[in-house]
Amino acid sequence: MRSRTQFFLSVATAILSLLVCGATALAEEVSFNRDVRPTLSENCFACHGFDAKKRKADLRLDTPEGAYTPIKGQSPIKPRDLAASTVWSRIQSSDADEVMPPPESHKKLSQQQKAILRQWIEEGAQYQRHWSFEPISANAAASHVLSVNVKSGIDGFLQERITKSKMVSTAEANRETLIRRVAFTLTGLPPSVQEVDRFLADHSPDAYTAMLDRYLDSQHYGEEMARHWLDVARYADTHGLHLDNERSMWAYRDWVIGAFNRNLPFDQFTIDQIAGDLIPDATPEQVIATGFSRCNVTTSEGGAISEEYRHLYAVDRAATVLQTWMGLTAGCAQCHDHKYDPLSTSEFYSVYSFFFSAADPPMDGNIAATAPYLKVAAREQENRIAALKALESAAEIALRKAAAEATEAHLVHPLVGDPASRKRALRQVLFDDAFGLGIESKTTTRNPSSWATSTEIEMHSGARALRLSCGEFTEDVLQIGVRPVVAPENGMLSVWVRIEPKSVPRGISIVVQGKRAFWGDLPLADGAKRVANGSELDRGPLPPAGKWTQLQILLRDFGVKENSRIDSFAVQQLGGVVYWDECVVSGEIAAQFDPLTNFELWRSTASKKSKADVPPGIEKLIAAGTQEAQSPEKRKELLNFYIEKISESAGGEVIALRRKWENARASRLAAEEAVHGSLVFRDMSQPLETFIAERGQYNKLGARVEPAVPAVFHPLQKADPSARATRLDLARWLVAPRNPMALRVTVNRFWQQVFGVGLVKTSHDFGSQGEPPSHPELLDWLAVWFRESGWDVKALMRLLLSSEAFRRDSAVDPEAIQRDPENRMLARGPRLRLDAEQIRDNALFVSGLLDATFGGRGVMPYQPPNIWEPVGYANSNTRFYLQDHGSALYRRSIYAFLKRTAPPPFMSNFDAPNREQTCARRERTNTPMQALQLMNDVQHFEAARVLAEKVLSQQTLDDSGRALWLFRTVLSRNPDAREVKLLASALGKQRTLFGQRPEEARKVVQVGESLTRSVGPVEETAAWTMLANLVLNLDETVNRN
Amino acid sequence: MSPFDELNLIQTRRQFFRGAGLSLGGVGLGALMCKEAAATAGSKIMHPALDGLPHFAPKAKAVIYLHMNGGPSQLDTWDYKPGLGEWYDKDIPPSVQGGQRLTGMTSKQARFPVAPSIFRFSQHGQCGRWASELVSHTAAHADDIALIKTVHTNAINHDPACTFVMTGREVPGYASLGSWLGYGLGSESENLPAFVVLTPSWKSVGAAQALFSRMWSSGFLPAQFNGVALRSSGDPVLYLRNPDGVSAANRREMLDSLAEFNAHRFSQLGDPSIQARIAQYEMAFRMQSSVPELVDLSGEDTKTLESYGPEVHKSGSFASSALMARRLVERGVRVVQILHRGWDQHGNLPSEIRLQCQDTDQPIGALLTDLKQRGLLDSTLVVWGGEFGRTVYSQGTLTQTNYGRDHHPRNFCMWMAGAGVKGGISIGETDDFSYNITESPVHLNDLNATILHLCGIDHERLTVKFQGLDARLTGVEKQRVLTEVLA
Repeated sequence: MRSRTQFFLSVATAILSLLVCGATALAEEVSFNRDVRPTLSENCFACHGFDAKKRKADLRLDTPEGAYTPIKGQSPIKPRDLAASTVWSRIQSSDADEVMPPPESHKKLSQQQKAILRQWIEEGAQYQRHWSFEPISANAAASHVLSVNVKSGIDGFLQERITKSKMVSTAEANRETLIRRVAFTLTGLPPSVQEVDRFLADHSPDAYTAMLDRYLDSQHYGEEMARHWLDVARYADTHGLHLDNERSMWAYRDWVIGAFNRNLPFDQFTIDQIAGDLIPDATPEQVIATGFSRCNVTTSEGGAISEEYRHLYAVDRAATVLQTWMGLTAGCAQCHDHKYDPLSTSEFYSVYSFFFSAADPPMDGNIAATAPYLKVAAREQENRIAALKALESAAEIALRKAAAEATEAHLVHPLVGDPASRKRALRQVLFDDAFGLGIESKTTTRNPSSWATSTEIEMHSGARALRLSCGEFTEDVLQIGVRPVVAPENGMLSVWVRIEPKSVPRGISIVVQGKRAFWGDLPLADGAKRVANGSELDRGPLPPAGKWTQLQILLRDFGVKENSRIDSFAVQQLGGVVYWDECVVSGEIAAQFDPLTNFELWRSTASKKSKADVPPGIEKLIAAGTQEAQSPEKRKELLNFYIEKISESAGGEVIALRRKWENARASRLAAEEAVHGSLVFRDMSQPLETFIAERGQYNKLGARVEPAVPAVFHPLQKADPSARATRLDLARWLVAPRNPMALRVTVNRFWQQVFGVGLVKTSHDFGSQGEPPSHPELLDWLAVWFRESGWDVKALMRLLLSSEAFRRDSAVDPEAIQRDPENRMLARGPRLRLDAEQIRDNALFVSGLLDATFGGRGVMPYQPPNIWEPVGYANSNTRFYLQDHGSALYRRSIYAFLKRTAPPPFMSNFDAPNREQTCARRERTNTPMQALQLMNDVQHFEAARVLAEKVLSQQTLDDSGRALWLFRTVLSRNPDAREVKLLASALGKQRTLFGQRPEEARKVVQVGESLTRSVGPVEETAAWTMLANLVLNLDETVNRN
Repeated sequence: MSPFDELNLIQTRRQFFRGAGLSLGGVGLGALMCKEAAATAGSKIMHPALDGLPHFAPKAKAVIYLHMNGGPSQLDTWDYKPGLGEWYDKDIPPSVQGGQRLTGMTSKQARFPVAPSIFRFSQHGQCGRWASELVSHTAAHADDIALIKTVHTNAINHDPACTFVMTGREVPGYASLGSWLGYGLGSESENLPAFVVLTPSWKSVGAAQALFSRMWSSGFLPAQFNGVALRSSGDPVLYLRNPDGVSAANRREMLDSLAEFNAHRFSQLGDPSIQARIAQYEMAFRMQSSVPELVDLSGEDTKTLESYGPEVHKSGSFASSALMARRLVERGVRVVQILHRGWDQHGNLPSEIRLQCQDTDQPIGALLTDLKQRGLLDSTLVVWGGEFGRTVYSQGTLTQTNYGRDHHPRNFCMWMAGAGVKGGISIGETDDFSYNITESPVHLNDLNATILHLCGIDHERLTVKFQGLDARLTGVEKQRVLTEVLA
């Protein structure tokens, strides 16, 4: 957490340097990196540093050459000679024109800082490279460990400082505290009572390690680990800019969870995400992993300029990689040379050029599946699709063969009734398991139509039904194409609907040729602002929810004249979830109006609008109209297509074979469309020339750059030395064993996850503007350990959680707080407020409501009204929140749909980032809004109610037994004597209050959508609900203690 | 909250409890906490001002920022161009257009015909300010208003421009103006957040542009400095109401028990954050009564209510939001931001802007009057404007009665009134087409620097380390405080 004030920050730094670094100015030799660089960086480098353009007076203080070389005969810094060093005299000057830093910079050196600078010059003004750029000194680290006689390397390093500062470390925490601490750290969930009992009963010496391993093996481990990584990866479920429409890349989120669960080594984890697509014989999973570089926000705002956004995306992608693996805040180098770290603008754009030729379009199109989009079928799905394709293809071949054998002579109109009238019965399917041939759908969501399968609901007919869902107005508009629909005599439109009982719309409607028939309220786009035109057909109330109902309307009621063509058709609804199935036009049609039995009529009237399902050659022939009639070959070609795909009067087996083919096609489509995909990263086939954008402006191009890495680091090894460097080269460079940055940054982030604050507190910034590590040798020791382990994340977590430091009691006395408020020394155990997701998941877990289903599309749990609506763009498909029902309400928080421009309040209220850019570190604030949420949010209060019902169903227990049961279920420990009294008294008071107002109690037991269990008098359940609400709000409950 | 704040808090609270002859963990702690003494402790926790802030004596204690989202047309409101009538349907001279970049929406247009405003302009106040009939209620305050005709911004599309106007950056991730003010100056209110946001309904029928929560987000500042949305339906503040069936008495009992539990825990662990949490729950409880009181208009006199127009009783209307802004400022809220949508008039501008101004003009005029009558205008800065302006040429078809206008970031009008602002003045001039600035350009960052200045903040000295830089609201370039605006 960033310190509250600059003042506090400087106090904190001072205290820390006193306590942690032991750097009272004059006691020991000054270390450049520890003591001097922060002062120079903060106060001097902006004008006398790396950025050549901003350098003043040609003086450079970030290198010894710059500092020692005399300017006009005077040394800026002369080692061991204070009097001859102009830097010192300028610092000491009282003349406003002379003094450094100058007054207009608003910077000022403290006495302490001056003393350090003085001592440093006197001791020889030795420079060091910035600490994080220095190689890891494995030998030093290893030998250091040997000299410290404690069992774990970690504790050796920590103890040295603790002892030096005469602090006393606390004893090991009790077992209940330990298991809860471990369970939250590794799984984001509390331990179950059974898990606590098992641990308490295990008296073997390795009980703790065995318990650790159980949680490391839990499938929830990956979910908790991924949660932290997704902040870094800036993962979300919407595009983020302007319309902020839904984006489909949850397969990437699930990949991250899976990668942690199967303990993918972190170097491979890195390579897959940066360049999985470039790995020879890459698996689909490795390609999905490249979603990391597709997680940035994107736009499709009308009028936005593509070049600008191509540039912005590449900046974000390069800066995110540099920050995530190298600990460099590189974003500023897009405009100018980094002022503090050795990163020039040209070097930044060299990294940027690895991402500049991205294949994804600058305008995301406001669709969920912005290319490149990889569909990933499970093995059984793949097999099924292959089988269905074979069936479809066989059916089509058989159909084609039969059609080729049929001749025009076969196109005899079947007679119905009076031969003179030459009519046939017509039954034309617009959609059933798929859209009819040639029908194109256009939805309000801008995404393909959504289909429900029999796993979701009971079908009316076939295997799929169209699913429309929205918090407000939505529609699917069908454009009719190559197979025309002509209104028959007494024509009737019928469609089956099923209204979802838990999500009833306000109204539904069907539109034919612009005229609407509606049930319930009239669905109008954009609320009341679009007015009805008065010609709508009010068909009465909505059909009953929860069952299939057939709606039938005469086409003439839509004002459709008999024998006229219908080009479009739409189903609409206002809110809710509705399934639509088997939509059919029926009646009788006379031959002279029937394009489906009359080739020439079809040919002259076939719509040229919808090109769906028309082979390109045929499309040309249709478009050419009758001019081609002279050519018998062309006519024959078109006729063959007609007989095969259109004609309803073809002879022989054609019609039967066509039905078979259509069924096969629908099955194949259903199987294919059931496969989900994910945004992936790929390069264009030919890389774009990349230029420096001067001052960060996309339209002011400077020198040309090639993919390369900053010179201060180890060199890039190209797989093909003669070729342009690739992202795969970059990925391997990041995790090269000789790269100290990625190792340090990575172990530090895991350390932060476990202990709350990183060894380097600024876990996103390892540059000179970041804080130096509190324990540099420990950081290096861990980095080496991690590398030698083969980047084994589970092993690292086991190591960190096995340390004494992690296991210590977190109790603290005021003196210890004064001395080490942030617990950087770790003389006591880490105590942290739970993160947003952990707080919600905890309530769900202890109440037994949690649905542990893994993965999938983001779910929409309870959300207060008007979170999305007041901000969403009119046409955004995430403007109206449509809450889910049933088990989806109780999924883990990592699966909650995250809309970037209006994130779920349960997340942002507890400091979760909105994922608009990478975030290595969350704040931990403490606000009244959080208190309100934990007390009143239906999600939390329902959990309390359900927990109360569980308590009351413990029939063998009396009040105190139940109170104890409740307390222990939530906190994994028994209440002490005082807490027992407090519980009893709190229960008593709530009982009295509800006893007087049973009607209020009745409301309490109804909160939430889960079924109320009858476990006794409602007053009793209500009183226990309040007690559970109390326990769920305890400070101890929302903390990892 | 940093451990230091929490330490601070403990000390404050210790003094309090010592003074009251009580010790921590005593029975009935919670009940005591709801009294004024606890309020003192609570406000300490909420938002103390940064050390050293304000940098100098502030003129404005509060800011009401009226953001007209979508980009209101300066040509039809405040930038009077009487000569344009002769240019009707003639193409804008190339010398004026000057090859400036256009959005993708009009860059392919064959013609750029000038569309003079169809609205009547007249002069207002002692200063003789020209303003269109659309903003006559506001213009009645011309002598209190400093009009800036030459505001310009970097971005040409909504998303980056909206992000820029509020955070000084086009890309997400930075702190908003309101968050900076809350962070720097702290909260004056013991019962309400420092920074409140209202997103009222709007009248135009075209597709309204989006808002983004980043416009009131704390960005890289701690999340407690996020703007708190005051909502027109459901709970006015998120999760404010107790669940159905839970009375204030139930809640009070629960909170008393909670405080005792937590105090007991504190006595064992000594972690100051436990104490902070006790106080936050008490603040939450106080909000449960202070917020309903805030949104209850029954105490307002009829005349005041009428002045805001007929929609003042409609929850979530602009009129009710304007009145709420005054009530919030009265109660010590530091920043109120009203974000009114629907100003993106690419087509049908005349009818659409009329609707928008019907929605906003009378309430804005009433707000200024109301603040003045209560003596609040002297200490309240009111700012009005959008994220950019609109082009003089018509987007789409131009007729005598209808036209549209595309985005125009090169110059647009904003105004300021109230605390420390010199009224009756106009800053800057644009050319005859309101297309280029001819005199005194004012960058949005200059404007933000001025807002901070009026609040007693030197914008160069309110910085936070972010991305390796001393990030500030007004960006890395040199900005100027508009001294000519200062009274």
